[in-house]
Amino acid sequence: MNCQTCQLKELVVVPTEIQDVLRCILHTIIFHRALGLVRPQDVECEHFEITYVHCGDHEIEKKIDEKIDQFVGWVEKHPNRKGQVCLSFYEVKNKHATWFGNKIERLYWEQWYINLHVLNPKSHGKSHYTKAPVSTGENASEESSSRHAALESSLHEVLFQIIRFANEKKTTFQLYKTLRLYHFHMRSQLQVHQTPLLVGMLMCLRGCCRLDILPCSVDYKIMQAINYFSEPGLYSVVNEAEEKGHFVH
Amino acid sequence: MATPSESDRTEQIITLFLHKALHAVLASRIPHLHLSAPRPASASARDRWFHLALGDLPAQIGHHGAVMDPLVVDILLTPRGDTDDPTGSPEAVVERWTAQCVPPSPWSAAAPHHPHDGSWHRKTYKKSIILLRSLYALLRLLPAHRIFRLLCSSSQPYNYDLSYRISSFVAPFSRAEEAELKQYSFAPVETLFGQLVVSVQHRPSLANFNLEVSSIPPMIITDYVGSPAADPMRPFPSSLPERVSRPIMHQYPPTGIRTSAAPSFDRPHSWNSTPLAHHPLSSASGAPVSEIGFLLPDHYGHLVPNQRPMGERKGSSGYNELKLSPPLSTSASPSPPTRGGDSPQSRFHLETAPVSIPTGKSQHRSPNLSDPFKSLLPPPSPRSTRADPYCQESPLRSRSFRKSEGSNLGDVCSNVHIYAAHKGHKDGRDDSGRFSALSSGGSPRYGFSRSSSRLSIQDDLDDGDFSYPFAVDDVDTSDSQARSFDGKEAPEDTLSHKSPEYGSSHKSQEAEVGILVHMLKTAAPLRQGQGSLLSSESNAEVSMSSSVMSRKTCDALEELQSYKELKNLLLSKSKSGSLDSVKQRRE
Repeated sequence: MNCQTCQLKELVVVPTEIQDVLRCILHTIIFHRALGLVRPQDVECEHFEITYVHCGDHEIEKKIDEKIDQFVGWVEKHPNRKGQVCLSFYEVKNKHATWFGNKIERLYWEQWYINLHVLNPKSHGKSHYTKAPVSTGENASEESSSRHAALESSLHEVLFQIIRFANEKKTTFQLYKTLRLYHFHMRSQLQVHQTPLLVGMLMCLRGCCRLDILPCSVDYKIMQAINYFSEPGLYSVVNEAEEKGHFVH
Repeated sequence: MATPSESDRTEQIITLFLHKALHAVLASRIPHLHLSAPRPASASARDRWFHLALGDLPAQIGHHGAVMDPLVVDILLTPRGDTDDPTGSPEAVVERWTAQCVPPSPWSAAAPHHPHDGSWHRKTYKKSIILLRSLYALLRLLPAHRIFRLLCSSSQPYNYDLSYRISSFVAPFSRAEEAELKQYSFAPVETLFGQLVVSVQHRPSLANFNLEVSSIPPMIITDYVGSPAADPMRPFPSSLPERVSRPIMHQYPPTGIRTSAAPSFDRPHSWNSTPLAHHPLSSASGAPVSEIGFLLPDHYGHLVPNQRPMGERKGSSGYNELKLSPPLSTSASPSPPTRGGDSPQSRFHLETAPVSIPTGKSQHRSPNLSDPFKSLLPPPSPRSTRADPYCQESPLRSRSFRKSEGSNLGDVCSNVHIYAAHKGHKDGRDDSGRFSALSSGGSPRYGFSRSSSRLSIQDDLDDGDFSYPFAVDDVDTSDSQARSFDGKEAPEDTLSHKSPEYGSSHKSQEAEVGILVHMLKTAAPLRQGQGSLLSSESNAEVSMSSSVMSRKTCDALEELQSYKELKNLLLSKSKSGSLDSVKQRRE
């Protein structure tokens, strides 16, 4: 099965809006892909007139916030950069025992790329990308408000895009829901001089909702995945639902 | 070929999906459904369907059509307010949600492949889960959700309200309407019976609807008593919209005024004898205006004539009945009543208020000297005209009959009361004389007159004796003995009428208190004497009223005790004196 990839529309944000934007987008995606019984919770954006939906899982919310905070920290260190957050859903297929350990095969079936163009409003002089002098005073506030309005409209479009993609790709998700386990991880990339930098990964085992904060090393997370996979009690929520007779009411 | 169980399962999935979709739409658009449907901590079996716990809708709301019947939900923006207003905008469809299972067209070449392993309904179910998630998320992105949030969060009513209409078959929009709408369709879900299609037609912008706080006035509390700062004489508006003025049952039971539409009559203003004269709901017979004055809070007054029959009109009868009842105030709040312009109140004032301390014996002679027992008798009936002379008299002259009355005992007792009443007063003068006058023969009469009327300084001020509650009193307080020991009535009589003497609050109670305080300050000292009786103490009634008002019961009782002892002493002395005289005679 090919991995379905969705490149979301690029959003121009300032650092103070990153958290709001990322939460909105990530939770909307996860709400579409969360397995098991979901008690949706409406959440209002802090900076926008937008309501999005949480899946109601506090651990997921916590982990997402942690990764967003990491991303924000990196953005502060590298201002005026384009960044990308990748939310991937994959399946841990087989464990191949090798001489050096167990090799885990990941089968990505869906990836969402959130593209952010982070502006630093405090920068003076010419902007790195716009090549235009940064205005001050009343013009700055007008520009800021217009930029904010444009961002809100773009964010609306992104959310529509997510709904459309998630709904159209039901087949893919439906297929992978039959698998025993599926994972998703979030990878943030900061393109510094067009060189992607892997800053971290977040992995989720949707059976037991076990999340883990990933260090920068991918290999370390693979080892973690092995540990998760070997733990007893991990099972497909779908299968569990079937066993419980969800179809019989 | 699908097994019967497969068909049943698919039908069940479609039916419940339509119900769930309806639930998601209404819970996100209709404020009262959103607020009235608390989400339980644990989802019920029905709520767990499609892995989306939304709570429960009212049972009467649901998709009651056949499984293949479309479900059409119109979300309407309905103007709130006067529906009879022809200039008002009609309701507008802001969203139309359509969910239905569309059977495959018979002429379609590509027939859907139905696996025979019984997994078809599972796939349908899983895809429906995602479809519902998308539907749920999209509901929050459309413009109508903002209005929904506004209506839910605001405690004030807006000029529009969101409503819904569920149907299976509706007329399609006109071309003009469709031009204003945007459509979004979800990817269909393949089912055994066809494609499950969900779509929405919505207005891209609702800026044309000027959503604002409703201009309809809030519900008027028609029995609002008011505050001192309010204009108590303000008549009720004559054109209250019925929709607005919703009668409110207040805490006081309606006690005489019964109109089918206006329980708010039950708590009129005490200072407005005709508060509801202009009320549009007043019956043809009119509100018995004078009865309004009788509708009392329980803590006011001791005689609450709340058994007044209905329809009894205002007028002198009502006034006369008022004589028997204590000071009436319909106001639960300490709002000072202003002057009522009607005669009953003025009569009360004329009757009740000896507010000045008489200057001397001769100044306050009552024309009723010829009837010394008048003071001992209560008003024979509520309609007695005895009050009228009092109304005409100056309170300073009402005490002139006291000269002919009194006994030592009574005077002593009266002194007790008066002194006790004056105990708290910081004036160093001996006020016994003055206080005794209050319990003199004149006092019962005065007391009765006051019991039948209300202590009020209103008319006294109107009479010109006192232009202001705290105006300087011109009463000569030097000759206090002339004013003391003037009564024969028992203290109980005085006390029994004490409470009725406390004014109806025709004018401000503060004014009354001020006048009385002034009286006490300027009153002649009360002289304690054992035999000197002052027949006429014109200020006795006044000071009695003031003393009775100001003293405390405990102080009065203490003084009573002390003077009882004095009385006993005197009696014993008199007895011993009489015994001595008897012995002398025998000798």
